[in-house]
Amino acid sequence: MIAAAIILTGIGSYAMRAFFIFALARYAFPPLLLRALEYVAPTVMAALVISMLTTPEGELAAGPPEIVGLVCAAFAARTTGNHIFALIAGMGTFWLIGAII
Amino acid sequence: MGRFFAAYPLHVCDINGAMNTAPTRHALRGSLDALPLFIPALPFAFVFGVVVAEAGIPEWLGWSSSPIIFGGAIQVTLFTLIGEGASVAAAVSAALIVGARHMLYSVTLAPRFQNQPGWFRWVGAYVLIDQVFVLSQIKRIDDPVGFRRYFLSAGFTFWTLWMISTALGVVLGPAIPTEWGVQFAAPVLFVSLMMAASGRQDKLAAAAMAMGVTYLLASWPNRAGILIAVIVSVCVMLLATRKQST
Repeated sequence: MIAAAIILTGIGSYAMRAFFIFALARYAFPPLLLRALEYVAPTVMAALVISMLTTPEGELAAGPPEIVGLVCAAFAARTTGNHIFALIAGMGTFWLIGAII
Repeated sequence: MGRFFAAYPLHVCDINGAMNTAPTRHALRGSLDALPLFIPALPFAFVFGVVVAEAGIPEWLGWSSSPIIFGGAIQVTLFTLIGEGASVAAAVSAALIVGARHMLYSVTLAPRFQNQPGWFRWVGAYVLIDQVFVLSQIKRIDDPVGFRRYFLSAGFTFWTLWMISTALGVVLGPAIPTEWGVQFAAPVLFVSLMMAASGRQDKLAAAAMAMGVTYLLASWPNRAGILIAVIVSVCVMLLATRKQST
């Protein structure tokens, strides 16, 4: 039963990834759609961040250490363009404020 | 004449260099870009190991989901629900709703896959995860060969590390202490990726809007709010930028 669940989920998740790549392989994308697709990456990342910081009940599971940590990470990412620096800035601030509070 | 001969080999080297070393450089770049993105996935692999153990699933069977499904959040959702005694149909459908955002990646990358060979569509779709998608959006490589090498190299670097770390996760279990808050590295990395993907002001505005809508819809089951938040913010941004241009 568990093996069936794994295989079904595997087929389903592969199908979701492959579907439009194959379905739209010869489709001439109109400029409006191409413009819309440019917003997918920033908005999905933003939505993922919030979904990681909220409980399944819809409450915010982030205090001052998390929020200040994320602001510092965003600032470090914008100024350095380096994900490792952003991780260090975000985690460092998070641990520092967590230790003070 | 001497100048001509001196220049000729250089010219050949340059063309060969552009043809042979540039894709290799893209392949190396893909691997190097994937490495820091894996840092938050490492503690998550150990969370996965704990979920498999708590669900009472044999280690090898739990790990087999890594090559078969290859998606951390999908795998964890599936085994959490199986552990809670949900039916196969309920667990599979919930896991697939969690993974529904991959359809957005498939649409977004479809134009980039149009000038690619068929085998790359099959293989590339297999490693199309959050991090590989966003890397391919941040690094815009127009050369089809370069794009393919970068994509596959980033994807399979991530794949290899995920296979190894989930194997360690199911064998070792809770080896990384949770009280340090290492799981917080995941939202930190995704904020950094969000900033890298939001090079323009309008993209940053779209991201901010998506954050707000996701928060409003956070109580929706299986993170279905993510998909709605993306679609709503994209539509609003299209309307807003349309007004500006006319």
